[in-house]
Amino acid sequence: MARYQAGDFPAATALIQRIGPQLHRFFLAQFSSRADADDLLQETWLRIHRVRHTYRPGEPVLPWFYAIARRVRIDHFRRASRTTARERSLEEAPDVAVTFPREEGELDDLEALLAPLSESQREVIRMMKVAGMSLEEVARATSSSVGSVKQKVHRAYRNLREQMSAPGLKKGPSGGLP
Amino acid sequence: MIDEQVDEVLKRVSRTAHEVEPALLERVADSIHSSLQPVRPLPPTWVLTGALVLICAAVAVAGAARTGFYGIEKLTVLERLLIFTTLGILAWVAGREFVAELIPGSRHRLSPGALLTIASVALLAVFALLFRNYRTEHFVSAGIACLVTGLLLAIPAALLSWLLMRRGFAVNSVSAGLVGGALAGLCGVTMLELHCANFQALHVLVWHTAVVSVSAAAGALLGWALCEVA
Repeated sequence: MARYQAGDFPAATALIQRIGPQLHRFFLAQFSSRADADDLLQETWLRIHRVRHTYRPGEPVLPWFYAIARRVRIDHFRRASRTTARERSLEEAPDVAVTFPREEGELDDLEALLAPLSESQREVIRMMKVAGMSLEEVARATSSSVGSVKQKVHRAYRNLREQMSAPGLKKGPSGGLP
Repeated sequence: MIDEQVDEVLKRVSRTAHEVEPALLERVADSIHSSLQPVRPLPPTWVLTGALVLICAAVAVAGAARTGFYGIEKLTVLERLLIFTTLGILAWVAGREFVAELIPGSRHRLSPGALLTIASVALLAVFALLFRNYRTEHFVSAGIACLVTGLLLAIPAALLSWLLMRRGFAVNSVSAGLVGGALAGLCGVTMLELHCANFQALHVLVWHTAVVSVSAAAGALLGWALCEVA
């Protein structure tokens, strides 16, 4: 990251190759289609590039990336909601939720497993299990306290325990879970 | 089923590699190539926080110099020590949180709501402890004058704070506006304590403390408006 800030293009490319897939998965999991996730990834990198001076060497890098990615995602949802509302008022269409259908087969095992959780619980579990972030790093990325993240994780685990222990639900989405 | 088993299941399903089209990553790399210049990282948090506190102190003193130091002249040494130490600590905490709001991935020790609550309760406690004159002469007229004076001074403090932090990036504009507004409001209260010689308890408790809340609300509203415009 320090080399990227110093203007080193190979370092920037390496960072994109390393972090890009993680961020893409993060976007794809948020009810977006692959095309949306592609757009959001590009938009996020442009934003990251514009504010790269806000990263301070020595600080954890993943929370910095994810904090910006969350902001881009929120802006995207806000824009999409606005567009949908405008179209609805123009067409006087019946009440339709703002959803982003994904292509067949894109819902992976993790997302299927996390489906019953609330969005905030899914988000912290994804950051911890997919990105491998610590509680402290997730707290930084989500602008919240470690205590609040711990509480979300605790509740998510309780829900997952109940879900996995329920009769008839012992098998996972792809049949590979206990 | 126990947590360790849930953990094991999560680890297993999250191990799946996620493929992204190489062309997409190449496009991303190409899009930043032309503007890839060296950049200077922001200074450490304590430097920015110190600068914000200095800005607030300077603006408050300048405001009081213009309107007169009548308040501080009437305060005892103990009262000065207690009031300005409290304001200094609160300004430092608010400044640090403002910096955290404008640097993505920063550690947040307090939520914006908690900061506003702590600042208001601390000021109310100190004022309630020190001021025991419970008369309410010219409560509304004198109060509104102080509220407006405090808020008017909060504007340059907010502008200078924003100028210092203009290279930052707010991941949540409403929170950043609220915290920045609270910091500017504390600057307004500091000026009022230097200037206002009206020591009626209710006047100080209601109108001086209100500067922080109103300024924070205005900051949050501005943050929300900017977010909507963007």
